[in-house]
Amino acid sequence: MVACSSDSGAAPEKPSGPVTVKVWAWYPEFQSVVDLFNRTHTDIKIEWTNAGTGQDQYTKLQTALKAGKGAPDVVQLELQEIPTFQLTKHLVDLGRYGANDVKDDYVDWAWKQVSTGDHVYAIPVDAGPMAMMYRADIFAKYGLTVPKTWDEYRQQAEKLKTASGGKSFITDFGANDGGFMTGLMWQAGAQPYTYDVANPSNIGVNVNSAEAKKVIEYWEGMTGAGLADTTAFHTTDFYNGLGTEKYATYLAAGWGPGYIQANAAKSSGKWKVAPLPQWTAGANAQGDWGGSSFAVTDQAKYPDVAAKAAMEIFGAKNTEAWKIGIDKAFLFPTATPVLESDAFMKKEYDFFGGQKVNEVFVPAYKAIGPFSWSPFNSYNFSQLTTGLNQAIEKKTSWTAALDTAQANIRTYATQQGFKVQ
Amino acid sequence: MSEVRTESAAAAPAVAGPPPRTGAKAPGRRLASAKQSAIGWLFVLPFAVLLVAFLLLPMAYAFKISLYRSTLIEGEVFAFLDNYRQAIDDPLVRQGVVRVLIFGLIQTPVMIGIALLAALLIDAATSRFSRFFRLAAFVPYAVPVVIGTLMWGFLYSKSIGPLSWTGVNFVSGDTVLASLGNITTWQWAGYNMIVLYAALQGLPREVYESAKIDGAGQVQIALRIKTPMISSALILATLFTIMGTLQFFTEPLILQPLNPGAITQHYTPNVYAYNQAFSFQQYNYSAAISFLLGAVVFVGSYIFLFATRKRSALR
Repeated sequence: MVACSSDSGAAPEKPSGPVTVKVWAWYPEFQSVVDLFNRTHTDIKIEWTNAGTGQDQYTKLQTALKAGKGAPDVVQLELQEIPTFQLTKHLVDLGRYGANDVKDDYVDWAWKQVSTGDHVYAIPVDAGPMAMMYRADIFAKYGLTVPKTWDEYRQQAEKLKTASGGKSFITDFGANDGGFMTGLMWQAGAQPYTYDVANPSNIGVNVNSAEAKKVIEYWEGMTGAGLADTTAFHTTDFYNGLGTEKYATYLAAGWGPGYIQANAAKSSGKWKVAPLPQWTAGANAQGDWGGSSFAVTDQAKYPDVAAKAAMEIFGAKNTEAWKIGIDKAFLFPTATPVLESDAFMKKEYDFFGGQKVNEVFVPAYKAIGPFSWSPFNSYNFSQLTTGLNQAIEKKTSWTAALDTAQANIRTYATQQGFKVQ
Repeated sequence: MSEVRTESAAAAPAVAGPPPRTGAKAPGRRLASAKQSAIGWLFVLPFAVLLVAFLLLPMAYAFKISLYRSTLIEGEVFAFLDNYRQAIDDPLVRQGVVRVLIFGLIQTPVMIGIALLAALLIDAATSRFSRFFRLAAFVPYAVPVVIGTLMWGFLYSKSIGPLSWTGVNFVSGDTVLASLGNITTWQWAGYNMIVLYAALQGLPREVYESAKIDGAGQVQIALRIKTPMISSALILATLFTIMGTLQFFTEPLILQPLNPGAITQHYTPNVYAYNQAFSFQQYNYSAAISFLLGAVVFVGSYIFLFATRKRSALR
């Protein structure tokens, strides 16, 4: 390590006191995690800013990176955004600062999302394994059974529609979240992008694959028949639907309960978790929706210190931080020592009527297959969401929307200088 | 328009140098006039510095980057007018322009009409309520656009909004333009009303007296006397509305999450330029779209002023 960091040469002399590391992140309950970190470290002091969630923060980050100043030392990036910021060479290779030492704390697919070979571009923090959260009270009221396959899911949806007189939907298909749709396609085995940061000028684009179309046609049928609602996710109407009896299930990620807790608290205690329905009975195919990591930007004055902070804020051995992350923030940890701990596996959630939900989420997380993202994810997600929302507005068919997205993304990639396969 | 005028006024001395000398002038006078012009410069200086730092330099920079093309893989290359050519050919830019034009054609008369009606009513009323109404109509303008739009987003909600009993989806593809128009009208009608009301207050009251003696009723006075007499204020208000409409941005951007299928990433030219730069990292293309939009706004305002030049008093 000493040899590695000495060849960076230009690293300026460190001040004698604690080094301040600026962090941008939007994790819930993060203030207590920051306080804990600053209390337990004498050499590093974290200065935390919430620069907005998701795209809001990326917009600010892009601008700051483009401007050459104003970016934080450590930044929260969702897994799908890492190639975007890596391609423009704004992420520090944490492999030089010992990140490979913690590699074994993470399951394979999650580590591959943040690294290529020995190059590590971020430290994973939380993931979004998908599962079906359902309202036990509504299921009991209308005599529904927990579906194991997507076919059964549709049967239950029809039963619910008739029994409730059209008042309740089986779920909401929010077409404004590209991560949600991609997660469902991921489960079906779609691989929309073939991209390796080691070979950055080549990219494969296969957004309208047979697997993706299977998923999209299924949901076209569900929404077309009035079985699934199409209110946009994360809106007032959506949370209101979760809190009332409008939606019987929520195809959610591991972090989902935190958001329901915050926005539809009155439904707390009525939810249960079951695995995501499968395309083939008895299979165990899973997908991921969201989840994020800590990356170090090229504007970090002391990259080694920033890397240490990125590794330790929510590190695998930082059980105190994870206590906050799990108990208060509903984060789904990516580090195996944390998620295999009894504190996590056996935790009974009041929100889920005392169910040990991680017995569902953890196996789902481990069964997620590999997946690669493109280095222009914002563009792809906007193509996907715009296209499918227009399909919902009945301006095009759903599969035509996928075809259009495929064509537009290929054109964009070519314009950006990629060799497109 | 007024901006452009001040700009050329500030720039003129720089081009022309010291005021033209006539050979007949005595050296002493010349000195005095030089001193005068120095003092003049001193007065203009703070404004000139701000103008250059916050308007001209950024514009020049934006124009420069609009001539380049940068790609994720190949870096930056000089592209001359390629970005402009692409923007003119881009159907998404055109859709946006057509949309704001349609929006403006409906929105502008409706809002100016409401503002004028309100101004005339409050001007005619002499009760103590008129002050209250004047303030009430102006309050929405005091609310920041972002907050106002978020608030309307809640009001439009189909599950918890107060209008949910109507069963209308206010953010569907068919209704969202009208819903946005409602927000802008709510926000700006009061402001325009104050402009028109101030103009009405400046009119000589004797004119109404003589009109009354001639047998004109209140309605006739309002339509045939007051309205024509404030036409220059009306034109000014309309001009600002046209410029604002073409640059329509904040409201669609804030409402977008409610229905991204209806409010697309290219809903208006300004929203499109914003997304190109900050979501898709196409800064160069974004700069070109912004410049084109600026040109359209300039030409549009000029055409409007030219068409109404007899009444505008803004020539």
